[in-house]
Amino acid sequence: MGKKSQTSSGNSKSFGVYMKRYWQLYAMLFLPLLYLTIFKYAPMVYVQIAFKKYSLVKSIWELPLADNHGFEFFIKAFKNNDFKYALRNTLTLNLLDLLFGFPAPIIFALILNELCFKHYKKVVQTIAYMPHFLSWVIIYSLALQLLAPTDGLVNMVISKMGFDPIPFLNDGKHWIGSYIGFGIWQNFGWGSIVYLAAIAGINPELYEAASVDGAGRFRKMWHITLPGIKPTIVVLLIMSLGNILGGGFDRPFAFQNNLVMRVADVIATFVYRVGIKGLQFSLTTAVGLFQSVVGIFFLLMANFISRKLGERGIW
Amino acid sequence: MKNKVLSVLLASAMVLSVVACGSSEGGSAPAAETPAADTQAPAAEAPAAETPAEPAAEATSSELTDGKFAETRQITVEIYDRGNDGGSDPENNMYTEYIKKGMLEEHNVEVTFKKVPRWTEVDDINNLLAAQEAPDICVTYSYPTVLTYAQMGGVIDLSEMIETYKGDLTNLWTWLGDTNMLWDKDPKTGTVWALEGKRAEQQRIVTFVRKDWLDKLGLSVPTTTQEFEDMLIAFRDNADTLLGSDASKMVPFSASYDIGWRASNIITSYMDPNITDKEYYINGFDDRMVTQASTKEAVRLLNKWYNAGLMWKDFVLYGSGDTTEDDMIKAGYVGAFQHNWDYVFRNGEDSINANLKRNVGEDAVFIPVDCFKNSAGKYSKWLYSSAGDRKIFFPTTNDEPLASLLYLDFISKPETIKYLQAGDEGVTHEVLDSGAIQIIAATGDAIQNSGKNIDYTITCNGTYFGDEALAALSLAYGYAEADPELVDQANKIAMADGLEPKNVNVGEITAEAGVGDTLSAKRDQIYDNAVVASEADFDSVWDSYLADYLSSGGQAIIDERAEKWAEYFGDADMLP
Repeated sequence: MGKKSQTSSGNSKSFGVYMKRYWQLYAMLFLPLLYLTIFKYAPMVYVQIAFKKYSLVKSIWELPLADNHGFEFFIKAFKNNDFKYALRNTLTLNLLDLLFGFPAPIIFALILNELCFKHYKKVVQTIAYMPHFLSWVIIYSLALQLLAPTDGLVNMVISKMGFDPIPFLNDGKHWIGSYIGFGIWQNFGWGSIVYLAAIAGINPELYEAASVDGAGRFRKMWHITLPGIKPTIVVLLIMSLGNILGGGFDRPFAFQNNLVMRVADVIATFVYRVGIKGLQFSLTTAVGLFQSVVGIFFLLMANFISRKLGERGIW
Repeated sequence: MKNKVLSVLLASAMVLSVVACGSSEGGSAPAAETPAADTQAPAAEAPAAETPAEPAAEATSSELTDGKFAETRQITVEIYDRGNDGGSDPENNMYTEYIKKGMLEEHNVEVTFKKVPRWTEVDDINNLLAAQEAPDICVTYSYPTVLTYAQMGGVIDLSEMIETYKGDLTNLWTWLGDTNMLWDKDPKTGTVWALEGKRAEQQRIVTFVRKDWLDKLGLSVPTTTQEFEDMLIAFRDNADTLLGSDASKMVPFSASYDIGWRASNIITSYMDPNITDKEYYINGFDDRMVTQASTKEAVRLLNKWYNAGLMWKDFVLYGSGDTTEDDMIKAGYVGAFQHNWDYVFRNGEDSINANLKRNVGEDAVFIPVDCFKNSAGKYSKWLYSSAGDRKIFFPTTNDEPLASLLYLDFISKPETIKYLQAGDEGVTHEVLDSGAIQIIAATGDAIQNSGKNIDYTITCNGTYFGDEALAALSLAYGYAEADPELVDQANKIAMADGLEPKNVNVGEITAEAGVGDTLSAKRDQIYDNAVVASEADFDSVWDSYLADYLSSGGQAIIDERAEKWAEYFGDADMLP
């Protein structure tokens, strides 16, 4: 795309020639753009609910402004204990995900890359992708079957060996471990695809040259493979950082239970419970807006730092 | 060349599909948005705005002739979907056909049913209301939900319509009476956001115990809390005798995450027998009694049981509507539990007692027991109020409020209630020599997904058959496959020393709007965390979770209720 836009920024004659040649591509791009406009940009009009007193039956343009110059619901949110818990938990869980979940696919890709048997590699790869296609509801059912205190398989084995069952799902600290663990399990195989693709793009001559120079496996990995996929790592890291206050809804929602809500309630589930179930649309729109603003801040910062460090960033 | 033709084709196909998408998008977008703003609001106001000035007869004659509309009207009605194994389609069965036919013949109204999952009804109806897709007639057990919507202007005020059309709604008025029709009438503004269905039966919660286990261990039926506890300990200690190789699956006392419901007999037995109306009302927002002063000590007992291995360790992990616990009970691993008074009799061949008989043996059976005495020596337990049951309301998206009221009138007719509850003779019931109606197991379309078809008789909950004497005579025969003697026993125990809730109508408590779901979730968290805490931590866990509940809106409700009480009743401790 970069090259094309350079040529298209030339004079109008070459633009016409260019469009005549590539119009099919632009016609195809039209659909995704339309999708973004309808489903991502048009709903942004409703962001104003955060600053207004919401009512179902009035048009959003007629809604009265909320108190405190429209910031009533932001103030309310920050006075809400549940929101504070949710904010803290979102940050904790996402940071832990980043800390343990982010390197996992990289390490897996590196290991997979070193395998000599092509067929074995394919089989391992395919098995590792599988969990990605399971919904979190199913994964939680699996987790229950495995980890429930009395009926779970793992705990039954532990009990038979004469130890106390481990409260994987019903004690805050253990729950965090299970939550992060299942997150890694679900995603590392799928996440490694991008890295494997990046590794495949590295010039094999580099490896040959390194072998000639007497480099072993780890040397090659350290000096060729890792630097080769560094731009990919950085781009993905930036995107993960942009999502630091985001995160999916279904994973925490499926894993929550009444005993762990103090560590398990995240912003997405808070918004669902208070906003949609409790019908406090203004309050939770304010929370959502706050979440997005912080997300953008992190994204910009990470991009800025990566550029300072000499990487390409995401634009 | 071939490639080029192909790519042009592909591209134009895509553009075409986009245009098609775009136009349908454009077409539906305004339709989805405007009902809230334009078309619906006048429709909601119209009857209220027009009718009050005109006398009833004139207003009715303009729309109805002999109770019939000139042109066919359409309404949609919410129906609970219980997802029963092998049940009938809730939207389309023998009973829906009866209603549809009757409504069309008598009122020229076409009825469509819209199912909503029973166990997540509040969530689902919220979503439907928010999406402007709610059925014309909505029903819920949660008044705060109705109130929240009413405050946003999303619910039709029925106060004038029900008076104006009183002449056309005789069945409804006769069956519900002033009490239920005007139960929610605001004492100041006079609004009626919802009509309250009537409870024909008031039994609530009963304790069940495995009779065959008692016999096997030579124990007598427990009659005090202590004897009940001793029995649980005996179950635990004799797991090998009772369950053999499944001994590790033994659960002496089972409960779900909803402790407030599933230990209700215990919690109520701890309540001060002389509690004042005022005290009960002020802390009465939550029907699980979590903020009542006595509840903590009741939960301490459960906490002791939990730590002594008398309760199921995994109970918190399974959410609302999950069948794991029921399956355990049906498989015969559970010794005792508390639940709806008829819980073990429900669903004919799939009932708990029928399953036990099949899975465990002829003599395996749950019997109702009464053993939680309060300090006055009574087996007190809360009953349902005969009024104030399910709340029926019309969202403002309903542009046929009159047709909807006629629907309510139709299903409140004694004949309709009788048919919906009893079905056809020989198919769903038999008439005994005494004249009592014995419900028999039905198949296919005739299966009632809810006991007495209460999901269809939304103005009537419980055995009525259109005749109170017949209902009383038939009560024990209301469950296919169940032993009438046991049903009768459960009924008597459920009613023994029953406490009837009173209606404290002081208008809207504004603090209650919008917090119902949050607070119920927090209430369950208090109960669950306190039950599973170590005995040493019990106090601190209870206090910290309760403090969280109070600071999240619980205290505001208590304060506002206290204020309103003072405003209406002054210093009085009891209702007049």
